Amino acid sequence: MPDEKQSDIDPLVTSSLREAILVVLIWIVAATWSLTVSYQMGYQREPGDLNLVFGFPDWVFWGVVVPWLVFGALSWWFGSYFVRDGELGEDLDDIDELGLGG
Amino acid sequence: MTDFTPAPMQSLLILGQAAQMQSSYGPMFMLSLFIAASVWIGIQANNATSSGGFMKGFFLGNRGLGVWALALTATVQSGGTFMGFPSLVYSYGWIVALWIAGYMVVPITGFGVLGKRLAQLSRRSGAITVPDLFRTRFNSPSLGLLCTVFILFYLGFMMFAQFKAGAIVLQLAWPSGFLGIEDAAVNSDYMYHTGLIVFAVTVTAYTLLGGFLAAVWTDLFQSLLMFVGVMILLVASLWAAGGLENATRVSLENTGPGFVYGPGHVGGDTDREFLPLSLAISFWVIWVWAGVGSPAGLVRLMASQNTPVIRRSILMLGVYNTGIYLPLIIICVCGRALLPELEQPDQIIPQMALLTTKDWPGGSLIAGLILAAPFGAVMSTVSSYLVVISSGAVRDIYQRLWRPQAKRGELRMIAWGTMILTAVFSVAAMWNPVDYLQVLIVFSGTGAAATFLVPAIMACYWRRATANGVFASMLGGALVVLLLYLIGIMGWAPVANIGAGSKFRPLYLLGLDPLLWGILVSAILGIVVSYLTAPPEKALVARMFGPQQEEIAR
Repeated sequence: MPDEKQSDIDPLVTSSLREAILVVLIWIVAATWSLTVSYQMGYQREPGDLNLVFGFPDWVFWGVVVPWLVFGALSWWFGSYFVRDGELGEDLDDIDELGLGG
Repeated sequence: MTDFTPAPMQSLLILGQAAQMQSSYGPMFMLSLFIAASVWIGIQANNATSSGGFMKGFFLGNRGLGVWALALTATVQSGGTFMGFPSLVYSYGWIVALWIAGYMVVPITGFGVLGKRLAQLSRRSGAITVPDLFRTRFNSPSLGLLCTVFILFYLGFMMFAQFKAGAIVLQLAWPSGFLGIEDAAVNSDYMYHTGLIVFAVTVTAYTLLGGFLAAVWTDLFQSLLMFVGVMILLVASLWAAGGLENATRVSLENTGPGFVYGPGHVGGDTDREFLPLSLAISFWVIWVWAGVGSPAGLVRLMASQNTPVIRRSILMLGVYNTGIYLPLIIICVCGRALLPELEQPDQIIPQMALLTTKDWPGGSLIAGLILAAPFGAVMSTVSSYLVVISSGAVRDIYQRLWRPQAKRGELRMIAWGTMILTAVFSVAAMWNPVDYLQVLIVFSGTGAAATFLVPAIMACYWRRATANGVFASMLGGALVVLLLYLIGIMGWAPVANIGAGSKFRPLYLLGLDPLLWGILVSAILGIVVSYLTAPPEKALVARMFGPQQEEIAR
């Protein structure tokens, strides 16, 4: 899709896009993990073979609780280290006499 | 959480009934306290926005949202989180953990996909509202107008439901015998109408005072209140049920294997499946992407203070979501063990609150807090919708199309008039609500996400996107969802027997929720039509995507 030189683009646009792409990848990995583990371990089970881990059914623990904590930690890393700070720029509203922006 | 089912309204009815059953002043005291706090917040917000331009102050809080306000209000959107959701856990069991699992990544998707870029774009375009943003980004007044129409339509209908819910709680939280009004009178239409008017006057008053900031701050207040309530209830429930392992085993004995395995416990003779794999996939898309595309959420991202605030909001929301959703599931599983035969599953949270705190000193007030917090969520949702609707009318219609030179006082009067008119219209619509309104309410939640998600992404990241492409994307997403709902509701095609029971069921094409088809069609139309139409002007693209002027100067 990009049809102009990189230098024509604000660095914040580039970093935002890079972060958005990583977020989509994280979402795909999280969904795949949770859906696969939960479906494999939690569907079509025989009554009576219930295994509990810390009180959770085993498929809930490995398919929801553990990924929730893992991706919680990943969110912390993402927000703390991966997302790049940048200037959001001047508010056009402040320099437009009518306050109508564009 | 966005409301996609009519459950929240029913749940609030139950909250109120439970409060009334308690025959105590706790719930009414906490509701009154919450209302008083909201009005106080409105006054503080009014003071905070009195400097600077009226439009940006009243409708966008002078782009000053900090970490707490942004993190806990941009994606936690309505009372549905604390009402419809618990009843699903009680009814269908542990499978609801998979149903809600998408929320584990909502902190990064909610802020990491559009957050920084949307905040930047709204500053560059001077946009105060979502239609404003699209209009300026694509230099297309007709696109701005289409956005305004969609937002007024969707938020208007979603707000109707919340008005009714608020009225019912006020009606039924009335303690039996208070001021000589007995049970029979409390349950009458007269008290419902009184509750409706009191609710409408209160919410409109504090929103008139403080605008956007009042909505955000009350939202933050109720979010914190709910977090405290859930933590207290978690400890109390686990204590009462003898631990989670015991609760799971007893609830399994009380129900059947479906309670601990997929696709969930449905009970009875029905062959309905609550969460087949296709719907589990759907909800991984719905919770994640509907939040990203919600108009009320987009506005809050536009109001964020700076990029560190957006970064830190990811961390804070991560902690909040983990502390709310997993504990709520545990509480409701404990509930199925302790209260196995509730006739109305929506009673589970208020009933657990009453059951587990009844022997505590001040237990009535703690139960009242747990009962009052969802009411606060309804109030803040209405307040937030009032602001967005009013901003659409004032900014995108009155100021854009009619009186660009309007001064502060005039704009304030128009904003106030619009809010009052909206409240009056909502009260009139909910005075004797008719059945078909519920169809529009259910459709509006999904329709809004299908309409705005892809266009918002195109606006932020795709330089080749054109106004016509975005126009087609919006219309396509909305029409596909509408069509699938119409087919299901009108019975024009057999509807798969899946999901939560509801009389307003859409057509689940290939077992997937209509939102997925809406997003797919919206994306295809946006790309194809953009390529078929002339590229946008280079100057416009440079202004929206290029380096800032001071960087060029360097």
